[in-house]
Amino acid sequence: MRILVIEDDRETADYLVSGLADEGHSTTSARTGSDGLMLAEKDLFDVLLVDRMLPGMDGLRLVKTLRSSGNTTPVLFITTLGGIDDRVTGLNAGGDDYLVKPFAFAELAARVVALGRRSRAASIQARIRVGDVELDLLAHSLSRGGRQIELQPREVRLLEYLMRHAGQIVTRTMLLENVWNLHFDPHTNVVETQMSRLRCKLKTGADIDLIHTIRGSGYCFRADP
Amino acid sequence: MRIPKLLRTSSFRLTTAYAALFSVSAAILFVLVYSGTTHYMEVELDTAIASDITEFQDIFETRGIEALIREIRARGRQADNANMAYLLQSPTNAALAGNMPPQKRSSRLFETRIPASFSPDRPARRIRARSVALSDGNTLFVGVETASLIDMQSVILRAFAFSFGITLLLAFVGGIMMSRNLLLHVERVSQTGRDIMAGNLSLRIPVRGVDDEFDHLATSLNLMLEQMERLIESMRQVSNDIAHDLRTPLNRLRQRLERTQRTEHSAQWLRAAICTSITEVDAILDTFSALLRIAQIESATSTPEPRNVDLSEVLDTVVEIYQPSAEEKRQSLAGRITRNLTATGDRELLAQMVSNLVENAIRHSPEGAAIAVTAAHGAAGIEVVVADSGPGIPAAERDKVFRRFYRLEASRSTPGNGLGLSLVAAIAERHQIAIALEDDQPGLRVRLTFPPAGEPADRSAEAA
Repeated sequence: MRILVIEDDRETADYLVSGLADEGHSTTSARTGSDGLMLAEKDLFDVLLVDRMLPGMDGLRLVKTLRSSGNTTPVLFITTLGGIDDRVTGLNAGGDDYLVKPFAFAELAARVVALGRRSRAASIQARIRVGDVELDLLAHSLSRGGRQIELQPREVRLLEYLMRHAGQIVTRTMLLENVWNLHFDPHTNVVETQMSRLRCKLKTGADIDLIHTIRGSGYCFRADP
Repeated sequence: MRIPKLLRTSSFRLTTAYAALFSVSAAILFVLVYSGTTHYMEVELDTAIASDITEFQDIFETRGIEALIREIRARGRQADNANMAYLLQSPTNAALAGNMPPQKRSSRLFETRIPASFSPDRPARRIRARSVALSDGNTLFVGVETASLIDMQSVILRAFAFSFGITLLLAFVGGIMMSRNLLLHVERVSQTGRDIMAGNLSLRIPVRGVDDEFDHLATSLNLMLEQMERLIESMRQVSNDIAHDLRTPLNRLRQRLERTQRTEHSAQWLRAAICTSITEVDAILDTFSALLRIAQIESATSTPEPRNVDLSEVLDTVVEIYQPSAEEKRQSLAGRITRNLTATGDRELLAQMVSNLVENAIRHSPEGAAIAVTAAHGAAGIEVVVADSGPGIPAAERDKVFRRFYRLEASRSTPGNGLGLSLVAAIAERHQIAIALEDDQPGLRVRLTFPPAGEPADRSAEAA
């Protein structure tokens, strides 16, 4: 993916650029808001990483300007501003995701991929199919290889999120945010527990395991082994 | 030039302005009274002249010039006509009769002076006179003394001058007295301010108890000082706490890094050491984030747009996410939550508040304990109760547990940074939720009383 990193702190920018390059992305970086805006408008990127506090033009205004000119490139805010309303403000300005420093690099990498893919996939589907698993969101029914599986409402939401991001890594935090609508870290193993429960329901008999645990990162829903 | 402090006060300026205003109005009154009185007296005098002229003309026309001369001479001798002056003058300006020196003819009113030399028995007098031409060519003059008018004018002038003087004097003295009084109060306030600046934060402005505007001001300022003292004290406390509580993990980290650096190790060992260090740094960063968050919540002055939060859903989610943790300790976690409870505020913060309470309950209760989250409409508003059957909190410690980094002796060994309840308190305060820690015999019961929904007022405002 082509990623533009708009970050004024050289150290952080280098950390992001080299990390993303290791993941196989091609990255460009900008030091100031106005440079970033120019690059974002000129070239086509899959994802923009924007620091909220930038010299010249702050991240919030940059994204607002970009959006008002019709640019819909997904934006991930990376920021130290973790205040009560900062996330809401960021998302209202046109950001698609919000990550508060400090964060684990795996978290950032997973979110970048999720954002980049989302721009291509049509998001409104009533029926999602991955491999031999089919989830009907209207009927709340799940079938695997023709066999019906009963799911709790939370399990439906969890599976839906996993299937929409099939083939990508989703982190614990992403799941807490999107499945449980919690934007803080409750010190509990609810994600692990729900995941193993869901895994059990999906895998009966000789079926191959579809939910893969990626050590140190998160989970991945994949039909191929 | 240095103006004395007293004369520079606003009350003195105000008094001076009032005195000036009063003087102007008194001056207008003076002009009105003076001119009115003068005019009235002049009309009186003119009427006296006119009536004498008519009388003399009458005598002249009916009885002839000789009779008129006799009449004039007779009147000149009468005492009750002492303030009048008469003159009958021939066409050659010779006086035929009367007690006035010869005059130029004039049909209009004129003023003249009869010198003392003219009538030796009387002092000089000012008169107001008029003449009329008789049909035989003689001219008749009738005049009246104006002494009474002048007397009256000077009386009025003196009265006003006197009252002006009194007014200005009173204004000046009153202004000085009021200013002194004001200065005294203000000086007391500013002296207290200077003393506080000098370092005595516990000082307060004296309130005299007379409930005037100075007392109001002093009371408001004292409230402000109290709030500031509390904030400063808590800030001092927090910075002390941070210094103490973060030094320990930072020290530990430093020791580990030093030990790693000192000796040769395998790559695997080093990687493990780095891993542990990152975990420790994360814990420190978590503590910082928690502190920052508490500070942000506490200092947020602008209350964000109140949003309605489905409290039942939030509580269900919290109970759900902690189920695995409770199961791990073989504890039961039950939710008895009334449907469709709506609270006003920030969903994330409310969720975090209840999460912290449930997390505490699980963490501090022994294996097999029972934990319950109940929520229902209470008498004062929605009540959320998180109860556990753990060791509870001794009554004496209940106020202290909301302090940052405060940990009970018994729980020192359990994980946690001592900020969970501080965050709960901050969130509760922001949402005007009352927290009560109660004894559940055994265990702890945390009762959150939400403020009664102020929705009817909002709705009517929207409808308007």
